[in-house]
Amino acid sequence: MNTNIDPATALQGFATRLRAFSFLLLVLPVAVLSGCATYSASFSRVEDDAAHRNLDSAIKSLDDLNLKGPDELLHHLNKGTLLSLQGNYAESNRHFEEAKREMEHLRAISVTEQAASLMVNDTLKAYEGTPAEQLFVYSYEALNYLQMGNLDDAAVEARQFDVKQGLIAADNKDADYLSGAFVRYLNSMVFEAQGERDDARIEMQKAMQGYKKQDSPFPIPQGLRDDLARIKAGRPAPSEVVMIFHNGLGASVDENNIRVANPSYNPNESKDLMMLSLAVPKFVRRSLPVDHVVLSAGASSATSEVVEDVNDIAEKSFNDRLPAIIARGVARMVAKNVAAKAAKDKVGDNPLFNFVADIATNVSERADTRSWSLLPGNIQMARLPLAPGRYDLTATYYDPYGNVVGTHLFKGVEVRGGRKSFVMDYYFNPPAAPKAPN
Amino acid sequence: MKGSKFWLGMTAVVCALALGGCATQVKRMGVEEVKDLSGNWNDTDSRLVSEEMIRDSLSGGWLSRHEQQSNKAPAVIVGSIRNLSHEHINTRTFVADLERAFVNSGRVDVVASKTEREDIRDERADMDLNSAEDTRKEMGKEVGADYMLIGTINSIIDASSGEQIRFYQVDLTLVSMSDNRKVWTGQKKLKKDIKEASFR
Repeated sequence: MNTNIDPATALQGFATRLRAFSFLLLVLPVAVLSGCATYSASFSRVEDDAAHRNLDSAIKSLDDLNLKGPDELLHHLNKGTLLSLQGNYAESNRHFEEAKREMEHLRAISVTEQAASLMVNDTLKAYEGTPAEQLFVYSYEALNYLQMGNLDDAAVEARQFDVKQGLIAADNKDADYLSGAFVRYLNSMVFEAQGERDDARIEMQKAMQGYKKQDSPFPIPQGLRDDLARIKAGRPAPSEVVMIFHNGLGASVDENNIRVANPSYNPNESKDLMMLSLAVPKFVRRSLPVDHVVLSAGASSATSEVVEDVNDIAEKSFNDRLPAIIARGVARMVAKNVAAKAAKDKVGDNPLFNFVADIATNVSERADTRSWSLLPGNIQMARLPLAPGRYDLTATYYDPYGNVVGTHLFKGVEVRGGRKSFVMDYYFNPPAAPKAPN
Repeated sequence: MKGSKFWLGMTAVVCALALGGCATQVKRMGVEEVKDLSGNWNDTDSRLVSEEMIRDSLSGGWLSRHEQQSNKAPAVIVGSIRNLSHEHINTRTFVADLERAFVNSGRVDVVASKTEREDIRDERADMDLNSAEDTRKEMGKEVGADYMLIGTINSIIDASSGEQIRFYQVDLTLVSMSDNRKVWTGQKKLKKDIKEASFR
């Protein structure tokens, strides 16, 4: 049989097929690379190691995740946290400084990332941290400096926080939970220790306003009320030990598949889908293992009070972002389906191609489950006034039923006249086994 | 033949581009060349402060007054320069410039700082045991400072989304060790307008 093929027609046919396959070329590699595990599932090893106080192992697990490119910020935030918990404060601050630089860099918009997010999924966008996470970086750095006894640099963080919080509040006018009340409370102590009593009083007042505005599920800390009354009366700060306690692992984000009506559905078009399957993030609040802490030195003791409910802030922040995430997801699925349909039309009736195109469309749809999940569930503070001297302090951790779940010894803590000494510890609950997306 | 030359050329260009992209590039710069990357405090700010402070302190009346009254060069010690700004600023750079200008002028003696003195005293104690008598240096012959240099760096930031105005003020003061009089104050102000990139 002798068949004559016109070269122009052949070339046109090839180009049509190439255009059809370009859809697969764009989406399929991402679908393959996405794999099955979400970010939060792959991170549970780090959390588990940290919860068991295997911090060397947690750092190794984090390094093994090789978070870079769009996930680089998460590497620095989590590494900074682990190093701080380990007591390696200077190195921890190096990572938090990197995190701040990255966050500033990511304020500028990347057109390619925005396009990828609209065409493939949100995980292709660089993670820039939620506004609440961006504010917590300053408290971590300040606490590291305080534990190194470096007041001047802690005060630099406090001043930077003031500028950053102002910018974030201006950009999120209705988000009263971004008042940064706890960080301001901490900063007031820094300023007072530096001898800047006016700045300290202003920070205390702003912290009070912040706590009132953010409508937290805990009372305004009594320690802050007492500080404000004392500084207004012109009395000096007593010498004391301030313990900051990070209670439980903060919220995690899971993937959840939901079905939404296809806004571009045409009932006359047989290949149109009436419903779209959408992968969206789901907020997962984790339990708090410790109800309160008793910090004691000999016969003197102090009970902690909650100074920030990080879970509550994270949930409010998540709920504020969710409508935009869903809207973007719907737009993305409509675009993917239109592209898949166009590709199928060009290839013709090819069941294998249709099957691969459907798989690529759905598998590439992944929810962005990234978060700084080593943040605690809540932060507590215990303040123990002590005469100048050197002390061995015991922190005892109680669960909600009054049972002791753990203790921690701080050896040889020096307390100087009229000064505060800062110590820090944590108690994380091991994360539950990751669930398969539902 | 013509085609093979073309492909050879293209391969060379691609290889050059690929290899060029991998190599770290270092370009030497003049120390006075101004290059602002982030808008943060940098070497240029430090240099501007030290130039102003050196000019102002060496031409100030305190120096001639001291020379007239005591007939000898004043001894200055550097105290703490407190960073009250929004940035982690290394103050040692311009303080070292100022110390060098004092020493090289031949008109001002600079006394070693507290930590430097501790090292020197350790060495002197070691000399007491191990050095030959004619080279040994005695304890108790240190020069006491006439003045202490102290100072602050302050900053004010006015920021809105996408733009920041940063204002820095460096204040240095020479305080008489004998009676706490401030005999010289120097000041340098710097202001920057920083606009963030909208796209990356």
